[in-house]
Amino acid sequence: MTAAPAASTPPVNVLTCRNLRKSFGGKVAVDGAEIDVPQGIVTALIGPNGAGKSTVVNLFSGFMVPDAGVVQLDGVDITSWPSHRIARRGLIRTFQLSRELQGLTVLENLLVTPTNQIGESLKNIYFRPGKVRRQERQHVERANEILNDYGLYGVRDNWARALSGGQKRLLELARAVMAQPRVLLLDEPMAGVNPALVEQIGAHILKLKSDGVTVLMVEHNLGVVERICDHVVVLAEGRTLATGRMSELRSNAAVVQSYLGGVLDARLDS
Amino acid sequence: MSPVIYYGFTLLFFFAAYSILGWGLNLQFGEAGILNFAYIGFVAIGAYITGVTSMGKPPQGSGETYMFAARLPFPIGLLLGGLASCLLAVLVAFIAFRRLRSDYLAMVLISVSLVMYDIINNYVPLFDGADGLNTVPMPFAGVLSLNANSFLVFFAVASVGIAGVMWLIISRITRSPLGRTFRAIRDDPDVISALGKSVFRYQLTAMLIGAFYAGIGGGLIIEFSSSFNTSAWLPPETFLIFAALIIGGLRNNVGVVAGAFVVPVLFTQLPKFLPDIPGHPGLILNLEGSVIGLLLIVTMWFRPQGIIPERPRRADQLIGTIRSRMRRGGEPAKVVAE
Amino acid sequence: MHQFWLAVGFGLVTASVLAVAAVGLSLQFGITNYINFAYGDYMALGAYLSWEMNAGLLHWNIWLAMICGSLAMGVIAVLVNKLVLAPFARRFEKLFYILIVTFGLSLIILSILNSVWGAEVKHYTLKNQKPLHIGPFLLTIDQLIVAAVGLVLMVAIHLLLTRTPLGKSMRAMSDNTTLAMTSGIDTRRITTITWFLTGMLAGLAGTVLGITSASITPSFGETFLFVIFAAVIVGGVGSVYGAIAGAVIIGMATEVSAVFINASYKLDTAFAILILVLLFRPSGLFARAGKA
Repeated sequence: MTAAPAASTPPVNVLTCRNLRKSFGGKVAVDGAEIDVPQGIVTALIGPNGAGKSTVVNLFSGFMVPDAGVVQLDGVDITSWPSHRIARRGLIRTFQLSRELQGLTVLENLLVTPTNQIGESLKNIYFRPGKVRRQERQHVERANEILNDYGLYGVRDNWARALSGGQKRLLELARAVMAQPRVLLLDEPMAGVNPALVEQIGAHILKLKSDGVTVLMVEHNLGVVERICDHVVVLAEGRTLATGRMSELRSNAAVVQSYLGGVLDARLDS
Repeated sequence: MSPVIYYGFTLLFFFAAYSILGWGLNLQFGEAGILNFAYIGFVAIGAYITGVTSMGKPPQGSGETYMFAARLPFPIGLLLGGLASCLLAVLVAFIAFRRLRSDYLAMVLISVSLVMYDIINNYVPLFDGADGLNTVPMPFAGVLSLNANSFLVFFAVASVGIAGVMWLIISRITRSPLGRTFRAIRDDPDVISALGKSVFRYQLTAMLIGAFYAGIGGGLIIEFSSSFNTSAWLPPETFLIFAALIIGGLRNNVGVVAGAFVVPVLFTQLPKFLPDIPGHPGLILNLEGSVIGLLLIVTMWFRPQGIIPERPRRADQLIGTIRSRMRRGGEPAKVVAE
Repeated sequence: MHQFWLAVGFGLVTASVLAVAAVGLSLQFGITNYINFAYGDYMALGAYLSWEMNAGLLHWNIWLAMICGSLAMGVIAVLVNKLVLAPFARRFEKLFYILIVTFGLSLIILSILNSVWGAEVKHYTLKNQKPLHIGPFLLTIDQLIVAAVGLVLMVAIHLLLTRTPLGKSMRAMSDNTTLAMTSGIDTRRITTITWFLTGMLAGLAGTVLGITSASITPSFGETFLFVIFAAVIVGGVGSVYGAIAGAVIIGMATEVSAVFINASYKLDTAFAILILVLLFRPSGLFARAGKA
């Protein structure tokens, strides 16, 4: 795993937010957060429960509108954009609880991903069936390769709802990969997953990085964070507490405090 | 020919018509997940528009008043009915589809249907109020010199043909990537949004196509029966079609046909053959609604997938025979087991 | 102007009926998280039970019949929930199953009403039919009683929700059912009580609707349903107070509109208001976060 980019070239921040604020009823979930996600590396968003991490993911991906603040993608203000518009700019997110499309097969879950499919237009369905079939074939080939990478090729014609929990997690990631993201937002990709699978998913994420994808992942498993993340942002009580490498943050008193002391060390042994 | 034969052809007609209605609702609800509790309103619009555009000005002394009168040939009237229904779909979609939650939307939709009913019932100049249209001419009757009986047979058979065409049209859609995206939206609209597709656009498309089918079905019904009024389209009628879909098997067009046979044909007609309970004339017929409702609830509990369950679609079914690098060389190099 | 004030008077009565109905629907939706599409038919069934007690088998005073009919409807609602709705809600995660079940229930109840009581219009046996001049309003004593009943019920519900442990539990469940369960609230008991309340309110609303419209038919509850939906949506789905506010707005607007347009369409103005709200403020006036 290579080190961070050389100090002479400052990192380009692909995804940023400033002064991000969001409350629900009386409760403030995000309170002036400031986050920079550098291009081409894996950034982790960590913090104790209730720090506002999932809310940040929702705000970044357009599933919620902030009360205040600015979110920028490649320098473009996407703060109040609807989610599908943000996704079209290359920012793809996954969900904390696996959201497989239950009434579709595993393969169909991937096939539904590409945007602007020829076969989604009525004109083409009736008047250009050959073109539709050709594009389908291409998509099926690409999907099959991805499914194979993720070990899901054998179950590709099964209902997605019939998969095991771990397989659903892999499917969630595979589907995001099929979308050819430039920026990938992963919401706790390792949650509730057995150690062997954690290794696998970690390997997949590193491969995505080597393919040039920028990754921001919300994660509780700090051992994983130390192993695969180049940059870490700590969120506590809706605000950015600290940033840096995991090894540095381990000795940051404020960070340790926010995790109720001791828990931080214990987690690193995992 | 004996009355039984005419009865049989009448059933055949309704079987075809309800299949068409079923495919339309199946696209909106079964495929795209839109709980369109106002579906019968779309059918009604189609029926009324097809009716008035084929009747011409109200005949003298008939006591009927209505708008949009024209004297157009039947196929055009039928298409206009379908298009009118599409127009309603556009209106409804743009007003109500900003909310994605199904029950909220269903409330608004059922309100649309009830208000339409109220307005058409009260505003007599529109479609002759509660009396409705009763003198719809039988299409092609003059050209082919048909009387009421032979028209019945002719139109029933013609409707089966039309249903066949509608089948071909709809199955192209459900087997295409568009159908797949509809099904994905029904399962989880957030995921589709997160992948970059506008959920509203697809819902609108599903509504439009489904509405077209509703309008065509309605147009066929009014032409067959030569009459149509408000008693024909309260919410229980929408329910009948939902029941047909669920009992027949959701999300597949063959299931719709099975449902169209079982519910609107079999279950509504069966009570007619049961002997009346002495002292309570008409009770069995009135209870028919209860029976259908009960049957649906029981079916949803014991066999929610319906008579003909949906089957997983394999890749080679979608695109014909596929020759991917995976298959040709035998099994792929590594398949990691979970 | 005189007409306007008369209409306001009627508006108060309509708002009262609507408020009872809308609150019944809102309470139940808040706890169970799905809309009961048979609600209009619950109202009608309650109205017919009261009719049977008032002008049918028994010959009770209308107000006594109204109370007993509502209580009976409350019991029926609890039974229906226990036997049909709760099992479905437990078994199926997807919303549409239970919604279709309620839709089916609507059909069942409607056809039972048609079979048992027939489709002809029925009337309650009422005594006080002469309208009185009360300020600028012209109302019969019955209408006044209806308005009063509505007011009393609204106050009672408010007190229930804010002052009693039951009410607090209901509000907790309405906010977050899982959290309420883990806090030791007996959600099943609360759900049963809520269904009793909603059935009772539906029966009451149906009966007073029958009194103020001077007639009942099997489908009259169903056709009134959209007005209730309009009140609930305008006020904000999930909020009981929103439902009351929506009821007042819709109730007033429908009656006042009759001054300007043909009275046959006054209920449809409710729909027009609903459309306006959907276009400009889809979450309603007092929406609660997380419900809509």
